[in-house]
Amino acid sequence: MRTENPIEDLLRGLAPQVLGALVRRHGQFDLCEEAVQESMLAAALQWAEGGVPESPRSWLMTVASRRLVDGWRSENTRRRREETVAAMRMPGPGQVTDRDDTLTLLFLCCHPSLTTSSQLALTLRAVGGLTTAEIAKAFLVPETTMAQRISRAKQTIRRAGARFDLPPPSERAGRLRVVMQVLYLVFNEGYTTSSGADLLRADLTTEAIRLTRLLYQFVPDEGEVAGLLALMLLTDARRAARVDADGSIVPLAEQRRELWNRDQVEEGLALLAHTLGTAPIGPYQLQAAVAALHDEAPSAEETDWPQILALYDVLERVSPGPVVTLNRAVAVAMVHGPRAGLALLGTLDADERMAQTHRLEAVRGHLLELAGDPLGARQSYLRAATMTASILEQRYLTMRAAHLR
Amino acid sequence: MKYMIMLFGEAATWWETKSPEWLNEMHQFMMKTDQALRDSGEYVDGRALADGQTAKTVVIKDGTPVPTDGPFAESKESLVGFWIVDVDSEARAIEIASEVVAFTERPLEVRQVMSAPAEI
Repeated sequence: MRTENPIEDLLRGLAPQVLGALVRRHGQFDLCEEAVQESMLAAALQWAEGGVPESPRSWLMTVASRRLVDGWRSENTRRRREETVAAMRMPGPGQVTDRDDTLTLLFLCCHPSLTTSSQLALTLRAVGGLTTAEIAKAFLVPETTMAQRISRAKQTIRRAGARFDLPPPSERAGRLRVVMQVLYLVFNEGYTTSSGADLLRADLTTEAIRLTRLLYQFVPDEGEVAGLLALMLLTDARRAARVDADGSIVPLAEQRRELWNRDQVEEGLALLAHTLGTAPIGPYQLQAAVAALHDEAPSAEETDWPQILALYDVLERVSPGPVVTLNRAVAVAMVHGPRAGLALLGTLDADERMAQTHRLEAVRGHLLELAGDPLGARQSYLRAATMTASILEQRYLTMRAAHLR
Repeated sequence: MKYMIMLFGEAATWWETKSPEWLNEMHQFMMKTDQALRDSGEYVDGRALADGQTAKTVVIKDGTPVPTDGPFAESKESLVGFWIVDVDSEARAIEIASEVVAFTERPLEVRQVMSAPAEI
């Protein structure tokens, strides 16, 4: 998460490198992970007092290795060690870099045998270097619950017989997709929290951007990774304008654009310009391109909707789904009029994947309002309000409805 | 002593009948109350629940658990949200509830949370 503390930033950057090197030497991902966490806690305390050592990395390696050896001394863990060594054979010698180690860690934490919530938690701890308490706080669950989730995730990985190796080329693309999905979920968890009253948990979005930036540095030629990073930057750039002083949601069209973070917009645009056309197109790049068009518009009225619609047309071909159709309906409405958008929305009414979300009714309310049907809009907003699990969204929808009476 | 302060009913009737100004004041009031409980060190937990219409109730039918649509109680008696506060007396819990009821003009139920043995 964002810290004002240079020691913590340094530690969090080193965490995956030290863990990677340790696992490479000893196997036993789960025990090494605990040892690294302990070494980081020790470092945070000691370095704040006595200063940062000359080689912080070796310091952490030494302390973490010592913890590991201490752990082995107990009979219980010795038995466990024999099992784990068998389960996770160490890779042979060869040229191994921090880049490989951090990537391997990411792949391991996003292992397909894990549930999504476990993938998120483990990635934030092992690669992000966050403590269990910090992760628990971010996901609004008790610390003991999060500790258990992380511990079970590590057991699951061990049982799945995962090796500390990069996935074979045949699996790489699929595994990378999972990693990107996990990072995007962390981002979205922060950006539109699925529960609770704080719409933005900036620390999670910041962390997701940091980890995606890390991934991008390691695989700069993966167009979708660049696209994902650009998408996060271009979306997060609007953070300050997204809620007003009393914490109410401000829709995109009504946001004060001078509050948008221009540096983040510029960085996102540059990434996108560098990537588009040089790599195969994919859903993250396309969504980033849409976000870029919104960010570049000097005012809501000047938004290039025809271009956005064209992008959604491509997106619908590349990765079709009800959420894409929903977004495309808004673009259709802005280009061809609200009734055309509503007609497209109607095609989603029978879609079971939309039955559990408030978004269909929320968008319908918006388009009915544009079409000059306040009573219909009101009904849709109220229906959406009963379906959302976000307090702030509920508040926004009910206020919208109340104004249409 | 811990008390649970519970609001029952249907939020939807508010949205349909109250003015935008009143709704806005209500949101502000709830947020202020929530913050005041945190500031006073009495807040333990507090949650608003998604609308009762979205609830599923699992019942037993011929010996088999079966999920059915809708809340357990009548929709208008369904739980909307709650606070758990840790206070010195029941009187203080009632005082907190009274402040809220004075604004919302809706009843709140105040009930003690039973204590569990200390963790071993």
